Amino acid sequence: MSILEYNGAAIIAMSGKNCVGIACDKRLGAQAQTVSCDFRKVFQYNKTFVGLAGLATDVQTMSSLLKFRKSLYELREEREMSPKVLSNLLSNLLYEKRFGPYFIEPVVAGLDENNEPFLSGMDLIGAPVYTDDFVVTGTATANMYGMCETLYKKDMEPEELFETLSQALLASVDRDALSGWGATVHIVTKDGIITRELKARQD
Amino acid sequence: MARRYDSSTTTFSPEGRLHQVEYAIEAINNAGTCIGILAKDGIVMASEKLVSSGLLAPSKSSEKTYKISQHVACNVAGLTADANILIDQARLRAGRYEYQYCEPIPVEQLVELVCNYKQAYTQYGGLRPFGVAFLFAGYDEHYGFQLYQSDPSGNYSGWKATVIGSNNQAGKSLLKNEYGVTSSSSEEKEEEKEGEMKVEVDGVEETSMPDIKGALRLAVKVLNKTMDATASSSEKMELYVMSLENGQVVHKILNKDEAQKVIDEVEAEASPAAAGAAAGDS
Repeated sequence: MSILEYNGAAIIAMSGKNCVGIACDKRLGAQAQTVSCDFRKVFQYNKTFVGLAGLATDVQTMSSLLKFRKSLYELREEREMSPKVLSNLLSNLLYEKRFGPYFIEPVVAGLDENNEPFLSGMDLIGAPVYTDDFVVTGTATANMYGMCETLYKKDMEPEELFETLSQALLASVDRDALSGWGATVHIVTKDGIITRELKARQD
Repeated sequence: MARRYDSSTTTFSPEGRLHQVEYAIEAINNAGTCIGILAKDGIVMASEKLVSSGLLAPSKSSEKTYKISQHVACNVAGLTADANILIDQARLRAGRYEYQYCEPIPVEQLVELVCNYKQAYTQYGGLRPFGVAFLFAGYDEHYGFQLYQSDPSGNYSGWKATVIGSNNQAGKSLLKNEYGVTSSSSEEKEEEKEGEMKVEVDGVEETSMPDIKGALRLAVKVLNKTMDATASSSEKMELYVMSLENGQVVHKILNKDEAQKVIDEVEAEASPAAAGAAAGDS
């Protein structure tokens, strides 16, 4: 049984028209046993969101590390970190531990300086992939890829993006034992960030 | 006599002095003045901007004031290059503490870490000390707003109001007379040891501490006295305020108009007295 599947997670990030959305489940488990139903896996860094799926201890460590590095960057450069830079930093941090890696597979979603959507995903040693439609990670990736491929359309408005993201995630986690127990969805637009909690099957 | 014992940091003189450290402190007396004043609801730091050339392109937001973390900022007097190293150290140490404990670093601990770093350059390695003095302004939930001064020796102390840089003696004497009128300097006790600090404050009551507006006016008044120029203008001074808003620490460098307003208020306070004196003379 893979170490990346020990705690369970499901995260999708999607792009829309001048907006991005990121949705994650809330389950924290120890293999079959569910331990918590409000475990945070998506972390906000100004207008960029990072979703971390994988071993929970590494999820929390990496989110703290990113917070530290982002603060240092903002103090030295006196400006905010763009999503692309954050993604590159994350990739570097992961590769530094190439032969003893963090067991996480992150996705990065945000709006850059021109309010254009940015999406990226990477493996546990930092190999990045940049897409313009959607990225998925976690224990239910097969389900999520299927749902996203079917439901996704280009240039969705924020409200439609929210609906699509929610339906894709909810349907995917229902067929996965290790993820679910509720969901959180963030939609980022140039005017602000809307966060909604979804009630889902509590099993 | 001192010539034989002053070229190495690692040698005491027969009088028990470290001359290199003292010379480093001298280097700061040529730097632009920095004033720090503790107020009831925040901290004010005012500094003199030494503009060496009109052709200079301003690269960062300030040459004197630096943010160390969300809750700590500092003012620099001395060699800017040396200061950059120490500021980077301070930022790293503050960040590492917060990474480890998920809590902002208590201000005194940060000051002590920076000072311990400076102290190492007065005892080992054959390297010269840093030619920088700092004013640290910070807020934590344990001790509220705090103001610290540190010098090249690695000594630090907490203050209600202090001055570093050129003409600091003139500035300090003015502050002694004007800050928190009911306090007397003899009641203020502070012991400075290498890397250690004890401050007992039983002189100034809460009510005699100025508020931020009062502290700003006092800072400008002191800066007017320490600066050589006869006319004060908002280009030559930088006014920084740290305050609390909704439980969050806010750092603000006053813009030209806001700074000019304070300068005008101080001038208005002074001019009735000047007009009275002129009338008295004639």
